[in-house]
Amino acid sequence: MQSKLVSFINVLRSHDVRISTSETLDAMRVISVLGYTDRNVLRAGLSQALAKTADEKATFVQCFDRFFQYRLPDAANEETSDADRIPELDPELLADADSALEQLANAKNPEIQSNLDLSGEMQANPQLQAQLHTPLMEMLRVDDRNGLSLAIAQAAEGVGLSQIQMFTQKGQYTRKILDALGEEHIRQAVVALENQGSPALQELQTFRDRLRELVRDHVEREYLLHAEGRNKQFMDEILAKAKLNNIEHHYLHRVHDLIRKMAKRLAARHSRRRRVSKRGRLDMSKTIRRGIANDGVMFDVYWKSIKKDRPQILALCDVSGSVAAYAKFLLMFLYSLYDVLPRVRSFAFSSHLGEVSELFDRHPVEKAIELVNRQYGGATDYGNSLLDFSKLALDDIGSNTTVIILGDARNNHGDPKLEVMQSIYQRAKKVIWLNPESRKLWGSGDSEMLRYQSTCHFVAECNTLQHLERIVDQLLRTNA
Amino acid sequence: MQSLDFPQLASVAAIEKGFASHGYICSLEIATAVYLAFQLRKPILVEGPPGVGKTELAKTAAMLLDVTLIRLQCYEGLDESKALYEWKYGKQLLYTQVLKEKLGDLLQGARGLAESVEKLHQFGDIFYSEEFLEPRPLLAAMRMTEGAVLLIDEVDKSDYEFESLLLEILSDYQVSIPEIGTVKAKTAPMVFLTSNNTRDVSDALKRRCLHLYIPYPTTELEERIVRTRVPDIDENLRHKLVEFVHSLRQLDLKKAPAISETIDWARSLLLLHADKLDEDLIRTTLNVLLKFQDDIEATKPEIRSLLH
Repeated sequence: MQSKLVSFINVLRSHDVRISTSETLDAMRVISVLGYTDRNVLRAGLSQALAKTADEKATFVQCFDRFFQYRLPDAANEETSDADRIPELDPELLADADSALEQLANAKNPEIQSNLDLSGEMQANPQLQAQLHTPLMEMLRVDDRNGLSLAIAQAAEGVGLSQIQMFTQKGQYTRKILDALGEEHIRQAVVALENQGSPALQELQTFRDRLRELVRDHVEREYLLHAEGRNKQFMDEILAKAKLNNIEHHYLHRVHDLIRKMAKRLAARHSRRRRVSKRGRLDMSKTIRRGIANDGVMFDVYWKSIKKDRPQILALCDVSGSVAAYAKFLLMFLYSLYDVLPRVRSFAFSSHLGEVSELFDRHPVEKAIELVNRQYGGATDYGNSLLDFSKLALDDIGSNTTVIILGDARNNHGDPKLEVMQSIYQRAKKVIWLNPESRKLWGSGDSEMLRYQSTCHFVAECNTLQHLERIVDQLLRTNA
Repeated sequence: MQSLDFPQLASVAAIEKGFASHGYICSLEIATAVYLAFQLRKPILVEGPPGVGKTELAKTAAMLLDVTLIRLQCYEGLDESKALYEWKYGKQLLYTQVLKEKLGDLLQGARGLAESVEKLHQFGDIFYSEEFLEPRPLLAAMRMTEGAVLLIDEVDKSDYEFESLLLEILSDYQVSIPEIGTVKAKTAPMVFLTSNNTRDVSDALKRRCLHLYIPYPTTELEERIVRTRVPDIDENLRHKLVEFVHSLRQLDLKKAPAISETIDWARSLLLLHADKLDEDLIRTTLNVLLKFQDDIEATKPEIRSLLH
């Protein structure tokens, strides 16, 4: 059972539930305390030890039901001690299965008749009898669901189904499991009966098809359990490394999730810092306490008030045509950041600039991005936009403010208005410029990047999600 | 560290029953969590919307076990001198003043500085001993010999730094005091932490706890809760009012009514001698359920459709 638990935890991990080793140990202790008698209690207990947010709990319940539903008591392989029994099926599920069986039986009434055909044929034909006298065939004939799924599960384990990676492997695994079950006997028998033109053929074919369907279902479930989560992780990794302008529209949703997660993680790590300030009200008790060592003379004084660092961020995003593909992601990032760090003010610009914080506040992400693009899209004029910005927000820039500019600095040969950047630079704690173009291209053509660079504390190339995350992490760390 | 045996916690079913006898109807999840927390000696981190009975759970556990409940309410700026321990600095100061005069007697017969210091050393660090220690809730819980329930309420309101302070207590049930050493709990207290999710509690803390999420209850469970808390209310009315609250929760409200509000509402209806739920009655008593004027205004036109 321990290996079952570990593979269950692997499944959970592949579905984005973070589980540490110590939590795995906890889960084992939970199982040893609760036992396997009550499936609901076990599920509740395990979820408390493993899933630690509301989202994770939902994932957990889904995975638990998928994982343990089809693992029936395995008498052949596992010790049958009480502790090793596998959770029993939900009574509800059993009831479902029962009614399904009944329906099946009703539907197949005429075939019960033909079943006689098959047994008749078998008695008449000793070769057929030998071929079909297998436990598998027996289970099919008496419709032993438990036995069949047990046999399929064992065969699946034998061929390593839990290693399935791609949906293209489903057919291959189905074949392997069928072979392991000994399906070729049935196949041969079908061929033999076909040659004879026997009336029992149809009956046998039904059995064969049922078996195949059962196996296919099993493979499908295992695929969902094992490969789906892994594929998602794989996808996430690729998306994080891909250049933002190359990511298809189709994956936008997924990217938004990723960006949100990133922003949330960063915000959680850095949102608030406290430190004791050096003035204000005297912390009398602490001062006296520390003074005792000096015979009650208060050499060192301590202060009560505690200063909180709340980094303020002003973000400017270029939404002009030249960076359109990036702008979408950068806006998305801004949006997510705004969601988690309420002191972010966002601005968008191309030929002129305006504040978009309110738009972000009121609309969901797609809508907000669309509105921003419509309102501020156009040809770039950095000079003008910077002037707009200084009018709007220069007075709010203080020693605790970080200004982030997202753009390619391609100014269509206009006046870059460096002096405005200079005044921003002098007031702000930090000015950061993230450029989606690769560093080699900076300064080429109408790019003013090299000149703007002189008025920034930090410039970086930023065109993948990974870049973005790394940079923002750095920014928040130095801010603290 | 010894562990006490509580027959009340012998099984999940016993816990359900025990809690019910103290007027707390708990779901299977809650009972399982309490059972596991006791068996594995792990703290429980309880999350959920406000008013679903997170704090009540700890209180009832204390009642059920008949042990002391020690409560630590978290807030921004809470630090170790308020949560863990503090030196009785006044007493320390007073004693130094008093002992100053005795110093001459103590050092009688000592010749030279070295000898005096040696003599003083024999007295040890009396000023930093248990007598001068003022235990705060966390340390007090460690010192309870008959077991205790420690409730760390609204841990999400405290600062990150404070969470790290809790880690040692939660995993090993001990407190390190630099001047004295490590104080180990004589009996592991049962620890409940609650969080309203105003911010994410750190992973390190979550790892050390069992995580219990209490959602709004199902209609059936809530009816049982109302029956236990307000036994005099008519069965029909009870059913109706719980259904109404449930449909209210489906609306987009600033603050959805929680169980505590349902109970309050049931009590007020009982006081008003109401025997059935009609529109006017709801309109006049809506302020018991909803605590924001905006919510009340938004709900009023919906009442008729919610009733059916």
